Amino acid sequence: MKSLTRRSLLAAVVAMPLATAGAAAQDVEITYAGSGGGLAQVMDMLFDKPFAEATGIRIKALATTDRVSAMRAMMQAGNPIWDVAELTPIDYATASLEGWLEPIDWSVADPGNLLPEDAKLADAGIAATYSTVIAQRTDKLPEGKQMTSWADFWDVESFPGPRAMQDSVMENLEFALLAEGVDAKEVYSILATEEGVDRAFAKLDEIKPHVVAWWTAGAQPVQMLADGEVAFTTAWNGRITQLKQEGVPVETVWNGGALKPSYVGILKGTKHKKEAEQYIGFMIGDPQRSAEFAKMVAYPGMVKGLYDHIDPEVGRELPTHPDNIAGQFVVDAVFWAKNMDALQERWQEWLLD
Amino acid sequence: MTGSLTAMRFGRHFPLIPALALVFAMFAVPVAFVFVEAVFAPEFSLAHFDRFFTRSVYLTVYWNTLFVSATVASICLLIGYPMALFIVGQPERRRPLLLFLVLVPLWMSILVRTYAWMVVLGREGIVNSALLWTGIIDQPMTLMFTTGSVYVAMVQILLPIMVVTCYSAMTEIDPGLVRAARVCGAPPFAAFRRVFLPLSLEGALTGWSVIFILSMGFFIVPALVGGRRDVLLGNMIVNQIAQANWGFAAAMAIVLLVSTVVLLALVRLVAARFLYSPREV
Repeated sequence: MKSLTRRSLLAAVVAMPLATAGAAAQDVEITYAGSGGGLAQVMDMLFDKPFAEATGIRIKALATTDRVSAMRAMMQAGNPIWDVAELTPIDYATASLEGWLEPIDWSVADPGNLLPEDAKLADAGIAATYSTVIAQRTDKLPEGKQMTSWADFWDVESFPGPRAMQDSVMENLEFALLAEGVDAKEVYSILATEEGVDRAFAKLDEIKPHVVAWWTAGAQPVQMLADGEVAFTTAWNGRITQLKQEGVPVETVWNGGALKPSYVGILKGTKHKKEAEQYIGFMIGDPQRSAEFAKMVAYPGMVKGLYDHIDPEVGRELPTHPDNIAGQFVVDAVFWAKNMDALQERWQEWLLD
Repeated sequence: MTGSLTAMRFGRHFPLIPALALVFAMFAVPVAFVFVEAVFAPEFSLAHFDRFFTRSVYLTVYWNTLFVSATVASICLLIGYPMALFIVGQPERRRPLLLFLVLVPLWMSILVRTYAWMVVLGREGIVNSALLWTGIIDQPMTLMFTTGSVYVAMVQILLPIMVVTCYSAMTEIDPGLVRAARVCGAPPFAAFRRVFLPLSLEGALTGWSVIFILSMGFFIVPALVGGRRDVLLGNMIVNQIAQANWGFAAAMAIVLLVSTVVLLALVRLVAARFLYSPREV
């Protein structure tokens, strides 16, 4: 770690005259509010440096937390000090509902039309993804059978065995409706009505007695699968891949998985909207670069052609692989930002009941 | 004259200043922030408290938290007091080793100890495997994710604190007093009950209070080893913070703080009235 810091410091010193030279040519700097840490190092190597070389636009990456409060303060002051921000689903939904994000001109950001429509929102792009999926212990499955859907997860006759689910109303309501056979595209329009929510909770009533544990941390389902505490559980996809590599007989069911994105958006009032759009396109709209990113952090983007540049063995364990993505749905962050409070309260009551 | 008296008083209390400053900066100020967060949103409003006291879910969890905390503290007292008594009764050179053994688990993170209980109590865990192997049961028992597993894990985590608190109170007691009672003809148990026990009660009560306070704020243990009904107020607060509902989380924290203080004051009051009074006569 220490040598790495020293090396990057050295690199910075060496690069300084170059940067000054670039600044003379085109004096634009974009401030990017990211998460810092290892992710920032990867991004600096894959995106920020090559982007500066290609365009002369420098990226100043900041390590930030609690972005919602920071953005609120900037908007009240009428002076955004960030141009582009990395956004969690809740960050994005809040920022979008409050109108803190610039609409993105995708003809600038993605001129080659390489991004699927799902990844191009009016005011943000999807940068990376992970998914909540069903994980099954293959040695605890009945002879010759495999779970393939939420209906199977709910089917305790055909697939006997203890189950675990996350202690969270978000996603579980969706899973319940999918188990009922609702089409993934209609899930949120059904949940928008009172009857729809009742219907989802009624379906959850059926599985409740068979769920022995409601997990709260991502490490728990992994532990419970490894210990044989449960045979089937919901889990975050990357962790199941790790468990598999450790030799535990587990398999992921991608069908019905809840895809959760990390977003990038441009702050309202930025002076460099066009450059920011270029940077977003550079970051998420290039198959080869996205493939490099996915190899290093295992949270792949959505750009078309990404998997042409990835080892198939690695690729089939990633959520946006063409074979895996078909049955998944993207969690509607805006729906949850609006309804989380009331639904979480009802969920808590339901759990205690 | 008055001036020098004030100076003298000031001089006497001067060493307290750093401690007070620490409490002020690290406790009073943050609690004030939490309080402000709870009642201003951004105008003054008691809506958060109203929500807490009108929705049954929060009150259920609130009573559960009080009940679990009092039970854990009482179980710790029942196990920890005899343990401390045993250690005090040992020859002086053996005591440090015994105390050391009591304290060793405290060096391990709560998280590690909690996960260890999963290994012990799990379906394929040590207890179930042993019982299955000996043929006492033929189906694994459900030990994990129950209210019982929450109690087991919390007591195991908090017990050393009780033992140490009781132990230090017991070593303060002059052994000559018990000997005097014996000399005056009291049988061993009577000497313990009428002399030693009343003198050690305050330490025991302190231990009970400390464990009660700590239990009131627990959330990791019930989340990891408890079932769906084993929710403490701490879990609710964590939930609300995760949803960025800082105001409501702050209101719950205030309720937790105030009820802990009120309850402890009551316990002290009742104890002073009924438990210590004989000693003061």
